[in-house]
Amino acid sequence: MELTSLSFWIFSTLAVLSAIGVVFLKNIVYAVLSLISTLIMVSGLFFTMGAELIGALQIIIYAVAIVVFYVLVISTVPEFKGETIDPNYMFVSLPVGFLIFIELAYVSLYGAWKSNVGMFTSEVIKEMGNVKAVASVLFTKYLFPFEVASIILLVAMIGAIIIGKKDHVIEEEASNGSL
Amino acid sequence: METLGAIVGITIKSLIFIVGMFLAAAYLTLVERKFAGHVQQRPGPLHVGPHGFLQPIADALKVLTKEDLVPDSADKFLFYLASLLAFVPAIMILAVVPFGEPFEIFGFTIYPYISDVNVGLLLALAFGSISLYGVIFAGWASNSKYPMIGGLRKAAVLIGYEVALGFAIAGPIMQAGTFSLKGIVDAQEGLWFIIPNILAFVVMIFAVLAETGRTPFDVQEAEAELVGGYVTEYSAMKFGLFPLAEWYIATFVLSAITVILFFGGWHPFPFMDGLPISSFVWFMIKLFMVFMFFLWVHWTLPRYRVDQITELAWKVMLPLALANIFIVAIWIMIFG
Repeated sequence: MELTSLSFWIFSTLAVLSAIGVVFLKNIVYAVLSLISTLIMVSGLFFTMGAELIGALQIIIYAVAIVVFYVLVISTVPEFKGETIDPNYMFVSLPVGFLIFIELAYVSLYGAWKSNVGMFTSEVIKEMGNVKAVASVLFTKYLFPFEVASIILLVAMIGAIIIGKKDHVIEEEASNGSL
Repeated sequence: METLGAIVGITIKSLIFIVGMFLAAAYLTLVERKFAGHVQQRPGPLHVGPHGFLQPIADALKVLTKEDLVPDSADKFLFYLASLLAFVPAIMILAVVPFGEPFEIFGFTIYPYISDVNVGLLLALAFGSISLYGVIFAGWASNSKYPMIGGLRKAAVLIGYEVALGFAIAGPIMQAGTFSLKGIVDAQEGLWFIIPNILAFVVMIFAVLAETGRTPFDVQEAEAELVGGYVTEYSAMKFGLFPLAEWYIATFVLSAITVILFFGGWHPFPFMDGLPISSFVWFMIKLFMVFMFFLWVHWTLPRYRVDQITELAWKVMLPLALANIFIVAIWIMIFG
């Protein structure tokens, strides 16, 4: 068996197993640990497919930057501390999850169907490297969507800061004479 | 058969790096203690072996043979896992750090690095930040107040400095035009990247000190306030792994990355091109100068407050790193 296909099977098996763990583990900290494991294994899958840039970014952004906040919230909010939660939301989460699954399946099938029609064949990518290949398209053809996405993120960030700010609540309380 | 050969080859090479790093880390403890002694005008370890030379071995034996206590109310699995989670990513950074140019001995070409992936720098950053989970889970699994506070403090510090560090390394990447650590060194043939990137270097120094939890930033274990921070409940070798990973291996590897990014990697010092010194030795000389700088800071300065650290990260270091990108962009436009 070839080295890449061997590592593909190892990474994908572990990814699926830990994804199952995310769903079924009762202790929420273990579920997050499973999530980290899933994300790292998926990054390993990217590496076996030669998409090193996405693999590295997967670890930095998803496995660390985002999940760290999950861990922080879970370990600081005492109600969630290692307790199980009743599956009341299952009626909402099941259809939504199923819809997302269908969407992802459609996109990946479509991607497999349409693969290798663009200018970036695997030889070209091997020649110029992942980063340059992504940058040369992202900052020319897709520059406008890229900038729009960055503005949306900026707006979302400012919104989050304003929502998270508590000063005005305190001021209102003070003006109502409740003190 | 070829697959097997490749796997065995990589395994042996990785083992050499890992075992070498372990032994080096053991003796880095002696270097640190001697250096700290001289900074504070005392002799340091002196009695085990000639001039304290065998002290690390005595320490290792002591730590390995101590009773391994696990608190009753701790989450056992996570408690064990956390010490490994702190340690393994730190050593994984070694996979992408090159220690010199390939050289030949008795007809064999020896490559002093495990792999030269073209996103090496990003991977080093990624592995470095995964070790954060070791600290957080150590704090949570101990099920005790002080470790919890220590773990959360470390997370707050790291989130801030990871961002600043990410922007700081953009300068050298822009100049070299590659993420490969070897490519970055090759691009510094003429002029070291410290020249336009001086601001990024300052940010890098602060970020390395913060990431490895060395003194101005060691709020996560602040022994005066938090007993021992996130390692309070640990004992024996599980306790030993945390400082070994953070203070020695992570500092060593991040010093190597600092040298690669700003000090020309294994290129010789200016005006010393003719000296018959191999690239590996040049690299080690620079590496130890940077490492000693971190030790010097550690054993000289007192500790910041937590809010001062995060304020410094977001209000000073991040703008400095952004300003550096601006300066480097102008530099590239003028000098090409």
